[in-house]
Amino acid sequence: MNSGIDLQGTFIESLMDLGLPLGAAKAIWMPLPMLLMIIGATVGVLVTVWLERKISAAAQQRIGPEFIGPLGVLAPVADGLKLIFKEDVIPAKSDPWLFTLGPVIVVIPVFLSYLIVPFGQNLIVSNVGMGVFLWIALSSVTPIGLLMSGYASNNKYSLLGGLRAAAQSISYEIPLALAVLAIAMMSNSLSTVDIVDQQSGYGILGWNIWRQPIGFLIFWIAALAECERLPFDLPEAEEELVAGYQTEYSGMKFALFYLGSYINLVLSALLVAILYLGGWEFPIPLDAIAGWLNVSPTNPVFQVVTASLGITMTLLKAYFLVFTAILLRWTVPRVRIDQLLDLGWKFLLPISLVNLLLTAALKISFPAFFGG
Amino acid sequence: MMNFLKQVGDYVKEAGQAAKFIGQGLSVTFDHMKRRPVTVQYPYEKLIPSERFRGRIHFEFDKCIACEVCVRVCPINLPVVDWEFNSATKKKKLKHYSIDFGVCIFCGNCVEYCPTNCLSMTEEYELSTYDRHELNYDNVALGRLPYKVTDDPMVTPLRELAYLPKGVLDPHDLPAGAQRAGLRPEQIVAATPAKTDSTKESNAS
Amino acid sequence: MTLAEGVQLVSTIILSVMMIGAAIGVVLLSNIVYSAFLLGGVFISMAGLYLLLNADFVATAQVLIYVGAVNVLILFAIMLVNKRQDFAPMPKAWVRRGATAMVCAGLFALLSTMVLATPWSFSTTVPSSAGAIKAIGRHFFTDFLLPFELASVLLLMALVGAVILARREFIPESAVTDLQATPLTLPERPRELVPVGGTPSQEESK
Repeated sequence: MNSGIDLQGTFIESLMDLGLPLGAAKAIWMPLPMLLMIIGATVGVLVTVWLERKISAAAQQRIGPEFIGPLGVLAPVADGLKLIFKEDVIPAKSDPWLFTLGPVIVVIPVFLSYLIVPFGQNLIVSNVGMGVFLWIALSSVTPIGLLMSGYASNNKYSLLGGLRAAAQSISYEIPLALAVLAIAMMSNSLSTVDIVDQQSGYGILGWNIWRQPIGFLIFWIAALAECERLPFDLPEAEEELVAGYQTEYSGMKFALFYLGSYINLVLSALLVAILYLGGWEFPIPLDAIAGWLNVSPTNPVFQVVTASLGITMTLLKAYFLVFTAILLRWTVPRVRIDQLLDLGWKFLLPISLVNLLLTAALKISFPAFFGG
Repeated sequence: MMNFLKQVGDYVKEAGQAAKFIGQGLSVTFDHMKRRPVTVQYPYEKLIPSERFRGRIHFEFDKCIACEVCVRVCPINLPVVDWEFNSATKKKKLKHYSIDFGVCIFCGNCVEYCPTNCLSMTEEYELSTYDRHELNYDNVALGRLPYKVTDDPMVTPLRELAYLPKGVLDPHDLPAGAQRAGLRPEQIVAATPAKTDSTKESNAS
Repeated sequence: MTLAEGVQLVSTIILSVMMIGAAIGVVLLSNIVYSAFLLGGVFISMAGLYLLLNADFVATAQVLIYVGAVNVLILFAIMLVNKRQDFAPMPKAWVRRGATAMVCAGLFALLSTMVLATPWSFSTTVPSSAGAIKAIGRHFFTDFLLPFELASVLLLMALVGAVILARREFIPESAVTDLQATPLTLPERPRELVPVGGTPSQEESK
C-alpha cells in the first residue's frame, strides 16, 4: 500500500538524527505541507487567472495580456499588487465587523479543502478518513460568508446577490453530494487516496468517468454552479445586480473574494480529476511500463519519476477542466434564476438520484466492475 | 403509464438535444481559438482610414465666402462664422471661423453643402484632450492638415478589411503591391467608357 | 504531558470559550442577524469539540447540516423578512426577565447535578474514523431503525407542508369574479396597490 516516496517519514527521521525528539520533529514537519499547499493554491490561482485571460482573448480573437512579462504571465501578479495597494473602503452605513468577516469566511473553507487533495500516494496534506465529505461540509460554510457580506454592505444589490449565492449553493450542494456518494459507494471509502487507488491498475480504462459518465456531468455542472462560473454566475450578474455581494468591496477584501472564487474553481477541477479522471494515474499504468523496461518498482529514480509524473498528471487533468470551464464561459449564456433553480431541483436532483440507484444496482449485480 | 413513459422519453430527448447544442457551441468557440487575433495594436499599428472616412473637418479660410450655409445645414447650428460687411468691396469679410468638435457629430452636412468647397473631411480621429474646450477649433486649427498614418515612421499602417486582397483576413505582412478585391474606381471608369453618358442622362431624368 | 496533549487541552479551552461566548451572544444581542451569525459560531465550535473527541464524521456532519443548511436557512428567513422595528419598552419587564433567569438557572442546576452524578468512564478502545461510519450506518438500520425512519417521515411531512404553503395557486372565487369584470387584466391574486402621490404618513402608519 505504502509504495512511493514518504517525504514525511524521511524528513522526521532526518530531524531525529539531528537529536530532536519525535514530537518536535513532527511539529516542525506539520506546517510545511500546509504552507506549501497555500502557496501552491495561490500560484495555481495566478496561473488560472492568466489562462482565463489568454483563453478568453483567444476565443474572442484578441491577444490578451502581452506586455507584462513574457506573454503577459505577470498580469495576474500586477492585478494582485494593485488590489493590495488599493484603499480599503468600508461604506459609511455598513456593518464594519460583518463586512470584514464576510470575505474571510468565504476564503478560509476553500483553503481548508485543499487538505484533502492528493497529488500522489503520500503527497497529501492529511489523509482524513472523511475525505470528500469534508470538502462538501466545508463548501457548505461559504454561503454564510456570502450572506454576511451581502447583508453587511447595506446595499440592495449586495443583499440580493448574497441571497442568490446562498440559494444557489444550497441547491447545487445536493446533486454534488449525491454524485460524490455514488463514487464513494463504488470505492467503499470517502478518502480521496482510496478513491484514486480504486481507479488505478488499468490505466485510462479504469477511471471512474467510464463507470460514472452521468455522475461526472452532474458533478461538473454542480461544481461550476458552486464556483459561480459563467453559465451560473447569477450572484454577480453585472446587468442586474452590479456585482452582487461584491458591489461594495474594494482592495484586499475584494481580492479575497476573487482569490476565493478562483481557488474554488481550481479545487473543483482537481476534485473532478481525482474522483473521475484517476487522480495522479498516468493513462497507461506505470507499473506495466516499469515491467516492460525491466525497472523494479522500488528503484528510487523510478519512484521520483512516478511522483513528479503524478503531480503533473493531476495538474494537467485539473487544468484541462479549467480550460473547458473557460470555454464554456464563452459558449453558454447566463441562465435566469428560475432556470437555474429548475435545473438544480428538477433536472440534476432526479438524475443524480437515478444515477445513485443505478450505481447501487450495478454494484450489486457486477461487483467486479463497480467495486465489491 | 404510456403517457408517463412518453414524457420521460421526451425529457431525455430534450436533455440530449440541449447537450448537443452546447457541444456545437463549444466547437464554435474552440474553432475561434485557432484563428489569428484581429487586434490592431493601436499606438504602434493603425488602420488606414477609408476614402470616405468622416474625421475632423478641415477648413480653408481664404475660400470661405461667409455664406453661413454650413450653419444652416448643421443639425445644431454649430459652426461659428464671424464676419463683417466690407462696404468698400461690397463683400462679406470673414474674421473668424470655428467648430467645436466636442459637440460635432461628424455628420458631414456642412461639407456636403459648402458652395466653395472650403470645408472637407480629413482622416484624423485622434481627438483626445484634457479639457473639452480644447476641442473648440478656430480657423487656424481647422486649417492644419493631419499627419498621414502611412507617412508616420513610428506607425505600422494596416489596411481595413474591405481593402484587403480577396480571401485575406489578416492585414499583417501583406505582400508588396497586393491589391484589394474588385476593381478600383478608375478601372471601372476605363472599362465602361460608352455607357457613361447614357447613365448620366438617365440619372438626370 | 506531551505536545499533542497540550495542544488538545488548549484547543478544548479555546473552543469551549468560543462556544459559550457565542451562545451568550446569541441570547443577549438585540440584533437578530448577529444572533443568527453567532449561532453559526456555536455550531462550528461544537464541531471542533467533536473533532477533538475523535468523532470526525459527527463533526463533519455537524458542519454540513447545522452550519451549511440550518443556519443558512435561518439567515435566509431573517434576511427575507428583515423588518427593523424597535420594541416598545414594556412595564414590569424585569418580572419576565427574572422568571426566565430562574428557569434557565434551574435547568442549568439540573444538568450540572446530572453531569456530576454520572460516573463517567474513560473508554480505552482506540476509535477509528473509518469504522465509525459503518457503525453509525449499522445502528441506523438495525436497532435505531424506528427513530431514523420516524425522523425521515417527519422531514417528509415538513417538506410537503412547505410545498403546499409555497404554492398557493388557487385564486379565491370572489377575486376571480372581481377581475373578470375588468377586461385586459391577467387573473392574478389582487395585491395592495401602492398609493401614488399619496401622503407618506399613511404608509408609515401601516
